[in-house]
Amino acid sequence: MSLFSNKDSDAPKSQAELLFEAQKRKERLFRTNVAITWGILLFFLVYLFSGPIDVDTQFIRDNMLFIAGGLGETIRISILSIIFATLLALFAALGRLSTIPPIYALSTFYVSLIRGTPLYLQIMFFFLALPQVGIRLPGLWAGVIALGLNYGAYMSEIFRAGLASVGKGQREAAMALGMTPTQTLKRIILPQALRFAIPPTGNEFIAMTKDSALVSATGFVHELMWRSVKVGRAQFHNLEALIMAAIFYWVMTIILSYLQNILETRLAKGDR
Amino acid sequence: MVPIVKISNLDKYFGHLHVLKNITLEIPQRQVVCLIGRSGSGKSTLLRCINFLEEPSHGSIEVDGVKVEGGEKGAQHRQLVHDVRLKTGMVFQEFNLFPHMSVLENVIEGPVIVKGMDRKKAIELAEQNLDSVGLLFKKDEYPMRLSGGQKQRVAIARALTMEPRVMLFDEPTSALDPELIGEVMNVMKKIAKEGMTMVVVTHEMGFAKDVADRVLVMAEGELIEDAKPADLFSNPKDPRTKALIDRYRNDDN
Repeated sequence: MSLFSNKDSDAPKSQAELLFEAQKRKERLFRTNVAITWGILLFFLVYLFSGPIDVDTQFIRDNMLFIAGGLGETIRISILSIIFATLLALFAALGRLSTIPPIYALSTFYVSLIRGTPLYLQIMFFFLALPQVGIRLPGLWAGVIALGLNYGAYMSEIFRAGLASVGKGQREAAMALGMTPTQTLKRIILPQALRFAIPPTGNEFIAMTKDSALVSATGFVHELMWRSVKVGRAQFHNLEALIMAAIFYWVMTIILSYLQNILETRLAKGDR
Repeated sequence: MVPIVKISNLDKYFGHLHVLKNITLEIPQRQVVCLIGRSGSGKSTLLRCINFLEEPSHGSIEVDGVKVEGGEKGAQHRQLVHDVRLKTGMVFQEFNLFPHMSVLENVIEGPVIVKGMDRKKAIELAEQNLDSVGLLFKKDEYPMRLSGGQKQRVAIARALTMEPRVMLFDEPTSALDPELIGEVMNVMKKIAKEGMTMVVVTHEMGFAKDVADRVLVMAEGELIEDAKPADLFSNPKDPRTKALIDRYRNDDN
């Protein structure tokens, strides 16, 4: 099928093939150089902390397990928050497209309020301000609500774009078949809009795993950041503790980005 | 003969723009009607009023005994519009297939979801209609992998599988490359021969001449001519019709 796949190895190469191969070689060389530079930078970083900057390896060994124990909590709060955020974002995006004034207003009010205040303040509000009026939420849930509300507001833009990406003709075709507005939304509009929204939602999830560290400031959720600050402060080894947490976050982000890439290629290859 | 479509005193405004002016029209069963006219004459709007993709401002539409008054609201009105839509099948200029569904899923979507038809029965019916438009072998493909002509034939099969009484075509070949027009036209001829009532908005004068029983000409929101194709093309009454036909003749040369 393709221009280059069924070439006869003995036949002289065509101009197009030669150009194509030259292009490939150039790309390979570029990638190799990038990889080498990454290696050098990483090596330098490791060297920095193994000689010039004195780190206490005994402390690292002793506290590794304690800090790693926060991974589960970090992942748990991130997953719960992204689910909550996705639902909120979907409703906010639908509200934004509504022609009913109170629904449109509710959606824009929510997005404006959340985007107009710092995430850190919102988290503190749920942990510290609400108990003053007698509302005491379990630590994890206060964190999930704060993160979910915040990300939901930002992600509503993604879902709005997704809904807008579905052409008017799709709605008309569904209407002509006799579908009700609800059927049209469920069967025709949302499946297409969600497919559009999955990759950027993945990005938000990766961002959220890191923003979940802010929840540690409340002291009620014992995730990665809280644990590293706790042992670091107590034994005056903040440097080592924070480096460990940084490595955990970084590796987690790399793995998630990798999964995200796979997902994106799959969707791109899909049926559209 | 009892008309299957009855349009009475239909008016349509877009804001202050009066796009359909007091249209009254009856279409008997099994008739193939072509609607022609310059762009902006209101021909597509008239077609879209028949299944209420455009809500008429005044007047009424009756399809197969279901009469709907334009410009009304409420649950009863919505129910009547729904009933009319079940009696009409629509084919769009831009095909509007559902890209996230395979060809077969596109075709059974209406019968299963809207009519609540048994899935097996819907598939059987869908396969018959896909076979009839010559695309049964593409039933598991996704629309993205079809040519324009194939997409439009699937769209026709999708509309037919709802078993409508009237088929509405809104410039079904205008978005197609010239070499793909023929295959869609042939399918439409076949449906006409099988006795379907059809209303076709088109620029294809060949189709109007060969297949239509009747040609309606629109200009500035009014029906200015209503004649058999042979009479219309040989002896147009309105000077605007004559100008329109001459323009198409010149395009053909």
